Parts: sequence; structure tokens; C-alpha cells
Amino acid sequence: MIRAVIDIIVSIAAGFYTTGRHLFVRPVTESYPEYKRPLPARSRARIILTRDPEGRERCVACYLCSGVCPVNCISMQAAEDSQGRRYAAWFRINFGRCIYCGLCEQACPTSAIQLTPDFEHIRRDILDMVFEKQDLLVDLCGKDPDYDFYQHAGVVVGLAGKGDHISENPPVNTRTNMP
Amino acid sequence: MWIWLLGYLVLMAKITAVLTAVMVLAAYLVLVERKLLGRFQVRYGPNRAGIYGILQPVADGIKLLLKEDLVPEGADRAIFLAAPAVVATTALMMFAVVPFGPRLTIGGREIPMVITDINVGLLYVFALSSLGVYGVALGGWASNSKYALLGGIRGAAQMISYELALGLSIVPVVMLAGSFSLVDIVNAQAGLPFILVQPLAFGVFLISAMAETKRIPFDLPEAETELGAGYHTEYSGMRFGLFFLGEYVHMQVMGALVAVFFLGGWRGPVLPPPVWLLVKIVFVVLFMIWVRATLPRLRYDQLMNLGWKVLIPLALVNILITGAFVAA
Amino acid sequence: MPKLIIDNREIEVPEGTKVIKAAEKLGIYIPRFCFHHALGAVGACRVCAVKFQEGPVDGVQMSCMIDAQDGMKVSTADPEAADFRRSVIEWLMLNHPHDCPVCDEGGHCLLQDLTVAGGHGIRRSKGRKRTYTDQYLGPLVYHEMNRCIQCYRCVRFYREYSGYSDLGVTGIAGRVYFGRLREGILESPFAGNLIDICPTGVYTDRPSRYTGRRWDFERTPGVCIHCSLGCRTTVSARYRQVVRVEGRFSQQVNRDFICDRGRYGFYYADRPGRPRNGRINGQTVSAQQAVEEARDRLQRITQEHGPEAVGIIGSARSSLQTLSALVHLCHTTGWQGPVFRNTWIAGAAADAAVRALSPENAFSMREIETADAILAVGADPVNEAPMLALAMRQAQRTGAEIIAIDPRPLDWPFDFAHLACRAEEMEETLASAAERLSASRRPVVICGTEITDDGIVMQAADLVAGLRGSDKRAGLFCTMPQANSFGAALLDESNACAADLADRIETGQIRALAVFESDLWHVFPDRSRLSTALEKLDLLVSVDFLDTPLFENADIGIPSLTVFEAGGIYVNQEGRAQQVRPAHTGGLPIAAAGLGDHPPRSFSPDVPGRDMPAAWAAAFSLSGQAPPETDAQMTAWMRDNFAVLADLAHMEADGVRLFAGRKVSIPDEAQIPEKKPDQFLELLPAPTIFGGEPMSGHSQCLRELAGLPAVWMARADADRLGIADDDRVSLGFENIEVTLNVRISDPMAQGVLVVYRHPDIDWQPAPDGKRIFISEDQIRRIEKA
Ligand code: SF4
Ligand code: SF4
Ligand code: SF4
Ligand code: SF4
Ligand code: FES
Repeated sequence: MIRAVIDIIVSIAAGFYTTGRHLFVRPVTESYPEYKRPLPARSRARIILTRDPEGRERCVACYLCSGVCPVNCISMQAAEDSQGRRYAAWFRINFGRCIYCGLCEQACPTSAIQLTPDFEHIRRDILDMVFEKQDLLVDLCGKDPDYDFYQHAGVVVGLAGKGDHISENPPVNTRTNMP
Repeated sequence: MWIWLLGYLVLMAKITAVLTAVMVLAAYLVLVERKLLGRFQVRYGPNRAGIYGILQPVADGIKLLLKEDLVPEGADRAIFLAAPAVVATTALMMFAVVPFGPRLTIGGREIPMVITDINVGLLYVFALSSLGVYGVALGGWASNSKYALLGGIRGAAQMISYELALGLSIVPVVMLAGSFSLVDIVNAQAGLPFILVQPLAFGVFLISAMAETKRIPFDLPEAETELGAGYHTEYSGMRFGLFFLGEYVHMQVMGALVAVFFLGGWRGPVLPPPVWLLVKIVFVVLFMIWVRATLPRLRYDQLMNLGWKVLIPLALVNILITGAFVAA
Repeated sequence: MPKLIIDNREIEVPEGTKVIKAAEKLGIYIPRFCFHHALGAVGACRVCAVKFQEGPVDGVQMSCMIDAQDGMKVSTADPEAADFRRSVIEWLMLNHPHDCPVCDEGGHCLLQDLTVAGGHGIRRSKGRKRTYTDQYLGPLVYHEMNRCIQCYRCVRFYREYSGYSDLGVTGIAGRVYFGRLREGILESPFAGNLIDICPTGVYTDRPSRYTGRRWDFERTPGVCIHCSLGCRTTVSARYRQVVRVEGRFSQQVNRDFICDRGRYGFYYADRPGRPRNGRINGQTVSAQQAVEEARDRLQRITQEHGPEAVGIIGSARSSLQTLSALVHLCHTTGWQGPVFRNTWIAGAAADAAVRALSPENAFSMREIETADAILAVGADPVNEAPMLALAMRQAQRTGAEIIAIDPRPLDWPFDFAHLACRAEEMEETLASAAERLSASRRPVVICGTEITDDGIVMQAADLVAGLRGSDKRAGLFCTMPQANSFGAALLDESNACAADLADRIETGQIRALAVFESDLWHVFPDRSRLSTALEKLDLLVSVDFLDTPLFENADIGIPSLTVFEAGGIYVNQEGRAQQVRPAHTGGLPIAAAGLGDHPPRSFSPDVPGRDMPAAWAAAFSLSGQAPPETDAQMTAWMRDNFAVLADLAHMEADGVRLFAGRKVSIPDEAQIPEKKPDQFLELLPAPTIFGGEPMSGHSQCLRELAGLPAVWMARADADRLGIADDDRVSLGFENIEVTLNVRISDPMAQGVLVVYRHPDIDWQPAPDGKRIFISEDQIRRIEKA
């Protein structure tokens, strides 16, 4: 009983000692606007649309990012260009709603949509937080610099013919029954 | 006639002085608490409004005043609106009986350095303290929100439980001083402050006082991790500000009571008496802040156990012992 | 009735039920690619494997291939079976391209679902993939053969179910190829169903290519209004615009499939020229202003010249709501009409059909599938009611004999005996052919109402009545010209046709005309007469969602909502009233509302162009009455005010059958068709599947399929006149001179020139009670340049 009371008192005292000692320790806080810490590339803030290594738009407007977005802040319209490439006729992210969860980046099959460490993009007018495709598109490849979706997809969009893409056999001849 | 008028004026002056001091202190206690908590947690605390964040209370005040005053749908309007005022007023009124110096003689007239010295001052304090519970319970109930309701009920249960320990712990002090008047109690400590005579009573009182003020580790009524903000979840703007003010004034009251009952009130060498009182109050409050930075919140059953099974028996034993000594 | 246990639950199923179906009855969905309840099983995909634990069959087997038998104990979750299914999908994915992001099937793809369900998220194989070259299959269907998993559903539907043979399977082993056997576009007017039926993205919808994913669409149950069958559809809308229409299962009407006219006919709803604003004397105003102006001016004319001076015209493409509101409008105001019949003859035949059909003799399409003998008279299902052709095909597959009595060159996807004859010979031919039905147990007579007259319909009804017996169930099935022809006939009291109104306009009795969702130019036989008549009017009001020439020329134009925006009730040719729900809110599509290349950058609760009324609401407003506020109130109002519509209260999933409850009777004055004079040929305008119908005619993709306008003639006639296939001829009749390509057909009636309606033919020689005869010397061959 006495031991228990002593134990209690000692452990509470230890707590007070710990917190009390902190008063004389230098705070570890980094003061934000005065000091800006360099953020790792995978930090999740302002979203960009990247390009493939040849400089073409990567986004194929597949609607996966807009489908997965938990707050429904991405909208777009897919379209087809003269080469048969599927692309986004318009692409809009409402950053007023975005929670920077990064699910869109995870869902993107083309590595087009990526979150960047640039978190300092606040606007006074909520409508200025609605970014259109031209505001989102950058001239970089971002985090996955070598990937070109259409080289793997197998559809013909002017890069190469059927069977000429990565890891494809030439088209089969269906007019012969020879093995 | 003019004597009456003069007395009235003096009274007003005292009230104004005490209220101003209490309010300013409350505002800055918030800042001090936030700064200190910051340091206890190895960070800075508020440091943007003015140097070292000195204007933070001003900024907070302006913010609270300008915010929209929302009344939730389905709330009991009248009670909802009145509850914060109950909390703040009762807390402030308790200062009426706290002596902040010896009698002063000016122009042959004796002016007591207390707003009013009623002979049952101690009972007055406890009465008001009990009334303050209404603000919490009613505010929580009137909000028409489950969190607020739970917070209000917890507040009522907790404050009533600890009122007992609080009251019982002070009985030996009264027995020693032989009076309910706070002035007399201070005077009775001319020799030794009661903390040396009654360390057990001091301990019980201090713990119960923290519970009365609903501060960590006894902040179950507003436990933000479980109840949002407890009984004031639905409040905004200055009404929330009143709850906040009430809490900090309450802290000061408790500090003042600790000072009066156990630390000899305004007594002390060198410095003028009101300063000594102030120093003692601040000292007690700082200790409460340290406690907040250190101890985790109790569980509800632990809270009740501590109150009913530890503090009240201890206080009762203490009364018996003191009684025996006084009688002897 | 075998009893078996599936996943520890017992079920009894009819003899011959496959295990996969039995499981479905218990609510257990066994994965499948090749099995389809309309097409049956072939056991090609191996993904329906389950474990047979006890009973006559043992081990892992295909549940779609094995009949349920007594004493079977089946486990779908057995690890061995689950592993097997998982491996099957992984093998299928060895060659499947990784192009889901650019595949329109993604999001409702069976292969995608099962791949995810099997947990095969990452391809383990490092091998190279097989590829195929694709084909251009026409404006409707896109081909991407790499995605094929060889389930054979497409060929089974295309060749076996629908009876066309230009798509098939070639190659062997790992080179099996599904596509057209020769270059060219798909010939079947049901080809769009390949899109629905292919479990992967080999066939995808070309007109709506890349418009969105299914999860983004507002999908609403709809009913097709492009012919009188009223097939069930699912309408997908996005951004206030219909983007895709698919077939929806219906027990009694279309089963699983729809025709391409129904699938692609919706493009009229958001074409750029669609009227979205009111119009007063050529000035653009808001829709509400136009309604108010029309109301005021109609009232003024009524006051000055009496209520007989105003005429109301409706059409059978309107919803039952609109039709009943028009009847009510004329009742309350005393205005003339409403006139629902375009021409007297077509209306009379449809009216006779409505009177002849009763709960005893009316067959649904489902019942046609089980008929054992079918006699079609004056009906060309492929062109008039396409899905009927598929129903007949199913009957023929189970051995039904099919006889057609028709002057036209019929091109049907099944075997049938064609008794080609002209209108005046029809009665006789029908009487003699009836013999051949006497031995059958479930005979059906299908009767058209577009090129026949009411006499033939009556005769068909009498024939059916005669065939019925205690052990025989005989049915009558009539096709009608438009989606709501049955509803119009139910409500039509005046039996007048547009020509009757024209008479009264010419005599000055009628001074104002309000035309609801009808294009007189399209349907009125005599155009020059029509335009002079319309000139005489003081006021012409047009309420429509199409930018018809009439709307363009009207003094007041009021835009109305399409079926996708307003919904409505449509009564199909067997009297089945079916409810359509609005698929999206009315108003400008978002694509059109944004001025740039993206939707407008503003927040607003208003929808631009939202003030367009439904046609029925406009009808109420024209007489100054407030329309019922909600659709439900409108339906209740119809039930209360029209005795024939009282049964609408019993609307169920399959709709509700409404019947006129009038007796079949031989018409007082039997219409005996005129005899064709010698040295003359009859000109027979005929409906056609693509391009001939006013709404779907606006779909660009269907117009592409309509081909060139042509005149068909029998080989004997062509030989006599010295005309060869593909020649160009000029035809002269009634001051009109047209030039058309000639197509020669063997099995059509002699002495007839058939011209299928075509969007490029702007004359409308629809017979106004009388037939058109062209003298042989007015048919001249034109030398090709
Ligand atoms: S980060 Fe999250 S919330 Fe933001 S756009 Fe992407 S998915 Fe949506
Ligand atoms: S997931 Fe990627 S490719 Fe698909 S729409 Fe979004 S950004 Fe474009
Ligand atoms: S094309 Fe489609 S339906 Fe036809 S076999 Fe291949 S996967 Fe099956
Ligand atoms: S058969 Fe008629 S109702 Fe059915 S989909 Fe085709 S056009 Fe529409
Ligand atoms: S569904 Fe049974 S083998 Fe394909």
C-alpha cells in the first residue's frame, strides 16, 4: 500500500520533471515563412498534369482519377484526336475542394496526374482555385520520367502500328490455317 | 448623505479595480497558458501577434467579438443564450469576498481592502460555485446536441461531486480560523500560513479546485477527443468567449482561494499586499498549467473514484484529526 | 424436376436447367464470359468452373454445360474450383492488352470485373502479346480485336440469334479472329447489340466513343419511341445530354436487345439546331413569352371568330400526356380537333387495329417467339418494327413456318415464304394463305398498318378469331406507324385527318392553327396545297423539340422538352402503356453552356434554357389553365379524366395493357382498293429502318447507313421497261419529277415501284386515301454521265 502510493508519487513527479525540464529546452519548431524546409518529392500538394518523355500530354482522360477522388473535385471530358489518341478536351480540378489525399495520383495509369510539394497556392477568390487544364499542364515528366503509356497499351495512336509497340508480337495472319 | 455617497464611490472603485485586474489577468493567462504549454511541448506557442505574441489576447478578443453568433436549430433559445452569462457572472462574483490587503486608513476612515466582507464569505463562495454548474448543465442541455448534452451531464456530476471534497477540505481551516469570513481567515494566518499546518487539506483542496474548474486532468465535460468540445460544442463567437472567460476567472478564483486559505492571502514581506496576492494567484495558476501539460485526462470512473473514495474520506479524516487537536 | 444442393442450399429446377442457371435462382452468381441467358452455353471460356462434390458428376466442371440432376452437391467456393477460375482469367490476360484506360468498356467490363475479383492485379507473365489488325465495321461499332477473349458470344448473337452472316469467326488455334468475313460494314440492323453482348471491349460504341465512363452517367430506365414496339432501353445521360442508349431486359417486349435505330436514334435531342428559345415572328424570345403570346393571340382569334376558327394538330410521336392534354384543350375551348392522323388511310388502319385488339387475341413479342406459324400481311418488320424481326427469327429457329404477304422486296434474316402481291390482291391472298395456318397450335397473324387499309386489318382479326379453338391459342399482332399510335387512336374522337383541317383552312373557317410535335411537311401528302393553306392562316403556332420546317415558318414557335427531359407514357402497338422517366433535367447541355472549351466558370443554381415546357404543359397554358405540377399529378389527372386510361393506375414493371374495349366489326363501307390500271405502275412509299423516321433521321450515324435513295422494282417490270440494276431513272407524277437509282428485286410484287423513305427525298407521296399510279412512259432511264 505504501509502496503503491510511493510509486504513484514518484511516477507523477517524473512526469512533472519531464515537462518542467522542457521549459529550458530550445523549441524544435521551424518558423514557417522565415524558414522553408525543402519537402520530399512525394509530398502531396498542388496537382500537375505531366507530359511523356516526348513532350506529349500523358493524360488519356480515362476518368479514373475523377472516379476515385473522394471529394469529386476532378472533372473532365475525354475526346479523340485525329491520330486516335484519347485525351482530355478539358480537365478541371477544383482545389477549393481537393483534400490532397493523393488517390488520384495512385489511380492514374499513365502517371499523368501528380501531386507536387508546392503547397503555397492559396487564392482569395474561390473561383481562382478552380484550375483548368492549361493551369495544370506542365512541361515535365515528373516522378516517372520514362513512362509512355501508349507504348504499352497496344492501341494504334500514331506512334507505331499494331504489333510494333513494346512487348508485342506482329499481328497474326488469320487467313491461313498453317500452324 | 455624502458619506454614503463616498462609500458608494469607494465601493465602485474597488469593484472596477478588481474586475479590471481579473479580466486583464484572464486574457493574459490565456496567452501565458498557450505560451507555456508550447514550451512544455518544446515549441514556441503563439508568437505572431506582436512581439512574443503579446497582442494575441487582443486578436482573440476581436475575433470572438466579430464571429457570427450561431444558435443551433432546435436549441432552447432563451436558456442557450443565458447559459454562458451564468458561468461568467458567477465566476466573477466570487471575487467580491476575496481580501486583497489589510484595512487602509485614509483621512481617518478605514477602508477594508475587500469589496465586501460578509461573515459567511466562505459559504457565499461555495454557493456561487454551485450556481456556476447551472451554466454548464443548462448550456449543454439547451444546445440540442448529443455532445453538448453529454458534456453538460458530466459537468454537473463532476462539479457536484468535487464540491463536497472542496467544502470538507476547508472545514479544518475554518475550525482553525474560527470564522467563515475570508478576511478573518487571512488574519488568522498572521503567524503561519495554513499550508504548513494543514498540508493534507491543501492537497485535497488543490485537487478538488482543479476538478471544479474542469481543467485537465479533470476536463471530462469538454473532452475534445470524445465530445467535440463538450457542453460548449454548439457555441460560437462571444458566447463561447464567455465560457472561456468563465473558465479562466474560475482559475483565478481558485488561485485566490488557495492563497487565502493556505498561503496567507495578501500577507508577505516587502511587496505591497495586493501584489503578494497576485503573485500567489499566478503561482497557483501556473502550477495548474504545469499540471495540464503533464497529466493525462482521467477516465470517468477514475474521476469518480478519486472524488468519492479518496478525497472525501481523506478530508473527513483530516477534520477528525484537526477537531481532536483543536479540542485538545 | 431435379433437386440439387448448391453451396449447401437446396433448390428444385425444371428439367434441362443448367447448373449456372440454378445457382442464379438461389442468388448465387457464378462467373461467366461465354454463357448468356439469351444465347445459351457453349463452354468456351472455362470460367464458370465449380466443384461437383457428390452425385452423378464428379470434380471441377463447367456449370454452364451441365444439366442440373438429382443428388448433385455443388460448391462454388471450393478452393480447387476457385483456383481454376483464377487461373483461367490469368491465362486470358496473357494476351489481353493493358489498355483499359483508353477502352470505353472500362467501368462496365465483365473481364475487368472478374480480373479484379480473381485478384490478378499485376501481370506476372513477361511474354509478348498476340495482336490482331482491326476492321472498320461502319459508323456504329468500333472494333479492337486485341481485347478478344474468344467467348464466341458475338458470332452466336450475330449469326444464330439474329440471323445475319457477314460477321463470323476465322482462323484456328491461337489465331481465332472475330470480325467480318469480307471488308465492309456490318449489315445487320441489330449490330449495336454486339457492344452490349461482348464481355470485353472488342466492340464499343462508335458515336459515343470516349464520352465517359458508365459510373459517371445518370442511367435511367427508358422506352424507345422510334417505332411502335416500345422496346425498353437504359438511357445514359451526362452533363444534361444523352450520350448512350442500351437495351434493357423486358419480359414481354424486347427481351435483351434493341435495334440500331432505337440505340442511335436519340441524337435529335441535343443537335445544335434544336429549338431552345421561343420565337415570335422570327424574333427570339423566352419560351414563356412565346407561350403567353400564343395564348393571348389564340384567345383574341377565338373572341373575334368563335372557337371553330382555331384548329389543333397533334401526332402519335407525342406522349400520352400530351395527347390527353390536347383532347382536354379542345374540350374546354371548343377549338377544332385535336387531329392525330396524318393521313386518313393510315389512321383508319391503325384505328381498326386498336379496335380489333383485345386481351384475348393480342400477342406480345414474347409470345411471337413461341409461335409455330406466322403469317405477316403488309408488314415489313425489319423496316417498320425491327425488333419484331428478331422475335420472328426466334420462332423460326424453333421451327415455325413463316409466310409473308407483301408487295415489297422483303429482306428478312430468316427463311420465309414470300407471297408477293399488290394491295388489291392482298385480301384474296390472305384468304388463301389462311389455310396453311389451320394445322398449327400457336399461329400468329402479323398485320401492318402503314401500307394496308382497315379492311385488311379487319380481315386479319377475323382470321385470328376463326383460328382460335379450345386447344389453340391464336394471336394478332399489328405494327403501327409511330410510338404512340395506339394511344392516339384510343383518345382520338374526331377521326379527322390533317387533310380535313386543310379543307377548312382553305375555306377560311379555320384562321389559327396550333401544331404540337408534328411536322406537317413531313407527313402531309400534298406540299404545295399545304403551303398555300398555311399562307392563309392568321396565326400558326408550332410546339416542337425538332427544328422542323413548320417550326421555322410558324408565327410563334414554342420549344418543348424531349422524352429524355420530360418523360411520359407511351402505348405500344399491343396496347402496353409504359412509363418513361426523365433521364436528365432540361436545359442547355453543359458542353453548349460553356463558351470556351470547358464548362462555364461560375457558380449558379440556374440552368440555362430551363424554362422550356413539356408539350402537355404548353397545351394547358394555351387555354390559360395551370398544368398539374408534378408528373404524378398529371398521371392522376389523366386517369380521372379519361375512362380508357383508368387502368394506368395498375402500371407495373411490364407496363399495363390498355384496350379500347370496342368490338371488331367489318367497316360500314368496305374500302376496296382501286385497281391498278394497265400500263401504269403503282408508286408505293414505304417506311425504312434508317432515316425514314422523323426523330432518328437526325442521327448522323444512321443517315450514313441509309445509303442512297432508290426505287425498287420487280425484275419482270424492269426487263419490260429495259432498265437494269443500278440505272438512274426519272419518275414523273403529279407535277413532280424525281431522279432515283434503280434496285431490282426478284421476289417483289409486279407492277409496283417501292420507294423507301429517305432523308434526302423531300417529297412525300404518302397516299391520301388514294394510290399513286405512274404511267409507264413517265419512267425514263437516264444515261449515266
Ligand atoms: S488529391 Fe485527393 S481530393 Fe485532391 S484531386 Fe486527388 S483524389 Fe481528389
Ligand atoms: S487518371 Fe491520369 S490519365 Fe486518367 S484522367 Fe486522370 S490524369 Fe488522366
Ligand atoms: S469479340 Fe467479344 S464477344 Fe466476340 S468472342 Fe471476342 S470477346 Fe467474345
Ligand atoms: S424495334 Fe422499334 S422500339 Fe425497338 S429499339 Fe428498334 S425502333 Fe426502338
Ligand atoms: S460460361 Fe461456362 S464455359 Fe464460359
